[in-house]
Amino acid sequence: MGRMGGGGMGGGDGGGGGGMMGGACYTYPASPATPGLVNPDVSFNRGIYMNGSMTMDDGNSVRIWGFTDGDGGMMGGGMDGGGSFPSPAMRVQEGQIVHSNLNVNGMMWVHTIHHHGIEPSMENDGVGHISWDVDGTYTYQWRASSAGTYFYHCHTNTVLHAEMGMYGALIIDPKPKPNDPAGTKRAFKDGPIYDSEVIWAVDEIDSRWHSLSWDAGTCGADVGLNLLEPDYFIITGVDGAQSALTAPGISATVQVGERLLVRYICAGYHPQEVRLGGLTADIVASDGRPLPNAVAVQSFRAISAERYDMIIDTSEPGEYIVEMDINDWVTGQTWGTAKTKITII
Amino acid sequence: MKRRDFLRVSTLGATASAMGGVSLLGWVPRAQAATINKTYYITDGYIEQPDGTDVYFRGYSGGRYSLNIPGESLIVQEGDTVNITIVNTLSNSHSFVIDGLVDSGSIRGGRSSSFSFVANKVGSHLFYDKLNAPYNRLVGLHGGLAVMPQASSNELYVGSPQFVQQYFWIFNDIDPVWHDQIRQGRTPTTKYIPRYFTLNGLSGRPPGAPGAHDPNIDAMTDPRTALHGHIGDRTLIRVFNAGKADQSVHTHANHMEWLTENGQIRPDIWRKDCIYLDANKGAIDVIFPFHAPMDAYPPVTTGTFPMHLHTEMSQTAAGGLYMFGSMTDIYFE
Repeated sequence: MGRMGGGGMGGGDGGGGGGMMGGACYTYPASPATPGLVNPDVSFNRGIYMNGSMTMDDGNSVRIWGFTDGDGGMMGGGMDGGGSFPSPAMRVQEGQIVHSNLNVNGMMWVHTIHHHGIEPSMENDGVGHISWDVDGTYTYQWRASSAGTYFYHCHTNTVLHAEMGMYGALIIDPKPKPNDPAGTKRAFKDGPIYDSEVIWAVDEIDSRWHSLSWDAGTCGADVGLNLLEPDYFIITGVDGAQSALTAPGISATVQVGERLLVRYICAGYHPQEVRLGGLTADIVASDGRPLPNAVAVQSFRAISAERYDMIIDTSEPGEYIVEMDINDWVTGQTWGTAKTKITII
Repeated sequence: MKRRDFLRVSTLGATASAMGGVSLLGWVPRAQAATINKTYYITDGYIEQPDGTDVYFRGYSGGRYSLNIPGESLIVQEGDTVNITIVNTLSNSHSFVIDGLVDSGSIRGGRSSSFSFVANKVGSHLFYDKLNAPYNRLVGLHGGLAVMPQASSNELYVGSPQFVQQYFWIFNDIDPVWHDQIRQGRTPTTKYIPRYFTLNGLSGRPPGAPGAHDPNIDAMTDPRTALHGHIGDRTLIRVFNAGKADQSVHTHANHMEWLTENGQIRPDIWRKDCIYLDANKGAIDVIFPFHAPMDAYPPVTTGTFPMHLHTEMSQTAAGGLYMFGSMTDIYFE
């Protein structure tokens, strides 16, 4: 039997390599100027909060991190000691030059914004090991070229930071079509018209992870980030046990024939299976790209960070409970189910 | 356009370049079917993981004294006769199986076996050890085979979107407790908890880490794995999952064109930045188009971007060490 390999880190005491920031390893702190900076068509200011919380239907509270709208307060707290969860959505129009101005609020940690599904330059992709982890302020610049559903999330120690809640929706609307009546909404350029929309960012939370520090595990300590054993199952920041059944923006009440667009984001890590409770939907786009042909579904599965845009068939009145199973990535067993409701009257 | 040769000198064992002197990236079609001879040695050993832990593996290796995980990929042409010789240097029985193409049957410890098949199924195939399933596959006995359509250098199947170069990405997840039980000839009884995550047998090493930029250790650098291209170098990637965990394959910079799923041609080609890769021999074929990143402003044609699994537990090693998991880099040159 041969002994192969080499190049191990030699144990869990961290040590060397990469940029160091406090006790962190393999972060790459910097806050340079943005290459080729121009005046944007639209800009978003994003600060950091590390002391948010989400109250679950069982009364327990779970720590949440996220992005604030604006610069946030000192030491990462907004004025209210936290921020919204999910982080505030970014919504832009096709063709616009976008700035996401990140201010990480203090020197205690580093973060980035990765605009997931956007195809920016490497400097604006928010990937620490290729560009940098922001330790002050940085302006991410990009131009929105394909209408659809995206999301943005932190890409520093991503396994932890995205689980902690550092994500928000990112929606690119198509330019208005010249012959459409004012106010007409389309899912993408020349895409289907819709009247109303909901966003389902379906995620699982493992409470155990939510007491870790921002740099947990980066130096080699075993903090169990290979094992995600979720105990809460949420939709767009709302507990899917009960609250999401009636939460505005998640559950919907629509008229027969109303065109309801669902923007589904698989915001967790484990696979998901979504059952539409007897409704049929036409999936018209995925990952910010129109499908060549719509696909009619009553259920579908998804894996981490996929997005599906679908138009719900609202021809039959009724109350439809939509169930989203979060299934273990190895065993396939269901960890839990988040629920919401579509009512057609 | 970049062409590389793939003489890979590695602590994991030197691998020869691909069949007939053709690189793994390009393919020159032949007018006639050929006979392809290939010998794999089933060997075992330990491979050091990012936290310094030695973990036991078995592989379809290039020599008696090397350990290759995965086994060297093969590219053949439709109609070729493929003669495989397996030299089982270990004491227990093993096999070599490609679903729908060949099954060696059990090859006892210390024995060799030669067998042939005609490569009559165009597309991407996983070869693996079907015995003691899934354990022998999980501990490393797997690799990729491509069957190119006749007279075609740039298609996955006749009429498919075209490419100019091709790669294999074979993912695995590793529970060292299971590997050790398998080493001892036992059937694992503990709950499967993957602790290391590899791409073509290697884990990532971020800049500054021991082993970073070493192609024998760092999956971000390994030339079999990291994508290199100029604008227009459409790249076919034959993706397999030898492990037990479902995964999300995620590319930055370009959406992938999703051609097949578990051996089936997709009815439409979707452009995706994340694709579901099933556990337990799941397979997808994708083309990474190497077009200019479409949202860059000012526009760019060069840059470096990651491919990583978005099932983010797979981005760790030993319960932490983010970026020491299943990932690589994509170079727009």
